[in-house]
Amino acid sequence: MSDRPSKRTLALPWSELVLVVGLIIAAIYMNGLSPAFLSFSNFFEITRISVETGLAALGMTLVIITGGIDLSVGSVLGLSGIVMGILHHMGLEVWLAAAIAVGTGALCGFINGQLITRAGIPPLIVTLATLAIFRGLALGISQARSFGSYPPEFLALGAGYLGSVPTQLLVFGVLALLVGLLLAKTTLGRFIYAIGNNAMAARFSGVPVNRVLVLVYTLSGALAGVAGVIFTARVSSARSDAGIGTELDAITAVVLGGASISGGSGSIVGTLLGLLLVGVVRNGLTLAFIPAEQQAIIIGSILLVAVLLNQVIRLRSRRN
Amino acid sequence: MDAETSLLKLENIEKRFGGTRALRGVSFDLNPGEVHALLGENGAGKSTLIKILSGAYRPDSGRILLEGNEAGFGSPRQAQAAGIATIYQETSLYPDLSVLENLFMGHQPMRAGRIDWAEMSHRAQGLFERLGMELPLRARLGDLGKARAQLVEIAKALLQQARILILDEPTAALTTRDTERLMEVVRGLRTQGVAMIYITHRLEEVFTIADRVSVLRDGEMVGSAKAGEFDSNWLISKMVGRVAGQLFPRNPRPTGKPLLEVRHLSQPGLLEDINLTIHEGEIVGLAGLVGSGRTEVARAIFGLDSYASGEVLLEGQPLPRSPQGAIQQGVALLPEDRGRQGLILPFSLGKNMTLPLLRLGGWLGGNLEDKVFAEFSQKLDIRPPLAALLASSLSGGNQQKVVIAKWLATRPKVLILDEPTQGVDVGAKAEIHRLMDELVGQGLGILMISSELVEVLGMADRILVMHRGRIAGELPRGATQEDVMRAATGSIAAGVQA
Amino acid sequence: MYVDRGRELSIIFFLVLLGIVLAVFAPGFYNARNASDILVNISYITIAAMGMTAVILTAQIDISVGAILAACSTVAGLSAKAGVPIPLVFLYAIGTGAAIGLINGLLVAYARIPSIIVTLGMLTVIRGVIILVTGGSWIYDLPANFRTVGTGSTLGLPNPVWLMLATLLVGAWVFSQTRWGRSLYAVGSNPAAARLAGIAVERTYVSVFMLSGALVGLATMAFATRFTTVQSNTGQGFEFVVITAVVVGGTNIFGGSGTALGSFLGALLVGVTGTALTFLRVSAYWEQSLQGLFILLAVALDVARKRGALNFSFRWPSSRRPT
Repeated sequence: MSDRPSKRTLALPWSELVLVVGLIIAAIYMNGLSPAFLSFSNFFEITRISVETGLAALGMTLVIITGGIDLSVGSVLGLSGIVMGILHHMGLEVWLAAAIAVGTGALCGFINGQLITRAGIPPLIVTLATLAIFRGLALGISQARSFGSYPPEFLALGAGYLGSVPTQLLVFGVLALLVGLLLAKTTLGRFIYAIGNNAMAARFSGVPVNRVLVLVYTLSGALAGVAGVIFTARVSSARSDAGIGTELDAITAVVLGGASISGGSGSIVGTLLGLLLVGVVRNGLTLAFIPAEQQAIIIGSILLVAVLLNQVIRLRSRRN
Repeated sequence: MDAETSLLKLENIEKRFGGTRALRGVSFDLNPGEVHALLGENGAGKSTLIKILSGAYRPDSGRILLEGNEAGFGSPRQAQAAGIATIYQETSLYPDLSVLENLFMGHQPMRAGRIDWAEMSHRAQGLFERLGMELPLRARLGDLGKARAQLVEIAKALLQQARILILDEPTAALTTRDTERLMEVVRGLRTQGVAMIYITHRLEEVFTIADRVSVLRDGEMVGSAKAGEFDSNWLISKMVGRVAGQLFPRNPRPTGKPLLEVRHLSQPGLLEDINLTIHEGEIVGLAGLVGSGRTEVARAIFGLDSYASGEVLLEGQPLPRSPQGAIQQGVALLPEDRGRQGLILPFSLGKNMTLPLLRLGGWLGGNLEDKVFAEFSQKLDIRPPLAALLASSLSGGNQQKVVIAKWLATRPKVLILDEPTQGVDVGAKAEIHRLMDELVGQGLGILMISSELVEVLGMADRILVMHRGRIAGELPRGATQEDVMRAATGSIAAGVQA
Repeated sequence: MYVDRGRELSIIFFLVLLGIVLAVFAPGFYNARNASDILVNISYITIAAMGMTAVILTAQIDISVGAILAACSTVAGLSAKAGVPIPLVFLYAIGTGAAIGLINGLLVAYARIPSIIVTLGMLTVIRGVIILVTGGSWIYDLPANFRTVGTGSTLGLPNPVWLMLATLLVGAWVFSQTRWGRSLYAVGSNPAAARLAGIAVERTYVSVFMLSGALVGLATMAFATRFTTVQSNTGQGFEFVVITAVVVGGTNIFGGSGTALGSFLGALLVGVTGTALTFLRVSAYWEQSLQGLFILLAVALDVARKRGALNFSFRWPSSRRPT
């Protein structure tokens, strides 16, 4: 221990810098593979398909900063979509059904939060179990049928444009801004970081730890619910298998964005960069006629390398 | 004692941590079959010395001789292989496994490719008979309770051929009866030729069990004597080494109206009918052995733990049962574990200090951190005065000042201090004591928990002594260490019953 | 050795209860064919669960087992089609699993990346590599001698069941009677103490992940051999079923306690309830929810027990007379 200011106080978030540099390199390289890459319309197509993962990743960022994890987001996405589909099928007004779907997502998250804080079961296990439970509910109540025939004004949410910007991108942009503000500028955000760094000290300092955690998981569920609605609008059908694997993509984006999986650090800007990197790589590879499935290997490797780098630097700085 | 007969000999051990000299030329020796008690206040260097002996730290200079041969322990395993075993308060056992497995983990005897359970039981029984111990071999260790877990630790060390046992406050959390049992075991070990370094705060144990005693103070060995050649006055004067008045600047003042009242607070198994009152301008000391329930009282008042019955009043109004509520009403708790409970080490000083001021559902104010930091860094002389500095980069004393500042920023009426000067250097300690006096001068009430008797005696206007979850006695200012000890060990009821 | 049989007994109790319900409402459940089907269906789960038990005993987790199952099945399928002798085919599969497990283990033990992240990344990488190798197409026309391993019987019992029983016996013996087996409990219960006791904690982590991978490789003998094709998305959700079996079977998710028999009973419970649902005319789509509930229930029990016993927390010994 020394009385001098440590280097880390003044350092810029290096992980975000690295990410920006990586992004630029990737973009230039992709553009070399296919000149169509750097056009605006292409950029928007990247984002359209990433919005659902992106929404889940926003909530996941908060969850991971608290030191938790939410594996259930993909299932919540599927369940919310099904709830909306069934309600609309039963004759409910489409936007009301959508609102109830988002509420369903929030309720799922709330249940996660209660199980974690009250029953004291680790988040990994709670959300692993609810991953199965929520997916099972989606399958059970829909009996694996899908629900379609939505009005065009609803479908525009998933396939339309406002100006030249895809609709859901705007929705995502607004939500990302809100969550970003929440994390950076409100007391809730400060509490989230405090809990992730040292939950016990946070509790001793009067932070309502359990309430914050329940809020965070509820928010994660609600955002997954929004993603479920947007998914339904994009593919114009609610399907019980929607969002399988979304949790992995979301975690990848968050961790790529520099969040520590053990909690305490991370940011919405980082997550957005992480999302963009995954989107850019995926899209560039598609344009370069590399089969979609093969891209998984590259993205998985990027995740491992990023975490490895992160860890090596962390271990080294701890030693010093 | 010369090197030939000594089993273990330390010569001129030096150890520094940053700018602090934790050990200054300490020499120490231990003979076979001897119980050598090591005394000293918190922060005197005992734990550093133990860690050097057990291989967790390396000394900066000096020699360690084992049977006359130079030995340097690069790791705990090497020390263990050399026959030195440390029995920590925090047991290093496996709660989910049986006693028998705990005894032999990593060293199980094998026969025909499998673990030889019969041989293990046989060896364990043999040892237990030799020592007169009785332990259920097949019970789950986690179900045993602390006292017997400690015996398992000792037995484990002996099964691994330990010749030197370091007992670090072995009786801290034991009842009188368990303590007697442990004493029997220690005597048994002594006749078997096992040498022991016995660290304790309980003076009466030193008289019952020690063949020799050595006292550490501020990293120096200040005295050593054989059994029968020392008395408690000698021990205390060696441990404290200075007149109490210099270290504990108290200005006696008249006390005001009651601030915090605790009535019939009970939680089965932990606290029994706790009653206490803290007045304006008063420091109330809460003494007692580790595990007697002092911290539990503080936690219950602050709303961290629930309690079954009783009430806590602040200025006559019931105090909400949550830390948030308690803070809002004007109660603050400085917890015992600074690094884990007091501070968020990766947070800046400014963020740490303002954390209790924030309420869920608000925006972060622009300059709250700077304002609070500016006020209190000056008041408490926090160095360096940079709000953006991470808490982890400060020294122990400055960290503690940040925790105090954090609580003062909430403008508390009652301040509960749990071990406020633990792991703090002498200079910062004096500053904290001066501040405490100043605060009660401004009308605050302070409840101070401390394991350092001299500190309690020096700072408190009244002392409540806890024993086994109850307040066993109340002593006025001017009470002696012996008075407190008697009440704390429950041997004799002392003072006015609370 | 301290063994808690509580969970095993509860599962047996629950199975008996379910048995009575079935006897009343769906007596058709009771026939030899159905029993043998259930056992065959849980065989590869149980085999992989032995490895997962070791991993969870050390307080780690391996969520890449589904992808490893796909990788090993692909390796086995491709090499069987290429005419590699059958014993060698399975050696390749086991080797593949062990090699992947080795990488997992090294990253967890030495790079100190949390196992959930390591195995999550590994899962993606493996799935990608499989597609790269197979081009995303299924492997058809597996040779007959390959398929006999999974569809044939020996002494009246299907081969996969024999394989399961053998793995279970060896697993039970290793976990309870060998130093390595007991060291898993020590590492999961108190890693610092284990290190002090001379247990090579890092190497233990590497070994459990290798074992987990190798056993998934072994499980392909009871899995890939039963079908005519190897599908490109083989093993999706397998990790969930295996973790369910282990956790429901009483292995503490925080490490330090659990048994091989428990994990087998957990797998049995999962298998029997799955089949029972069909016989009770409950749509199979609900099965996943039920498994999730089982996990929650099992872990809630662990947590309650941990809170109740509060290991080493302070208690007044007066309430607890020494014996």
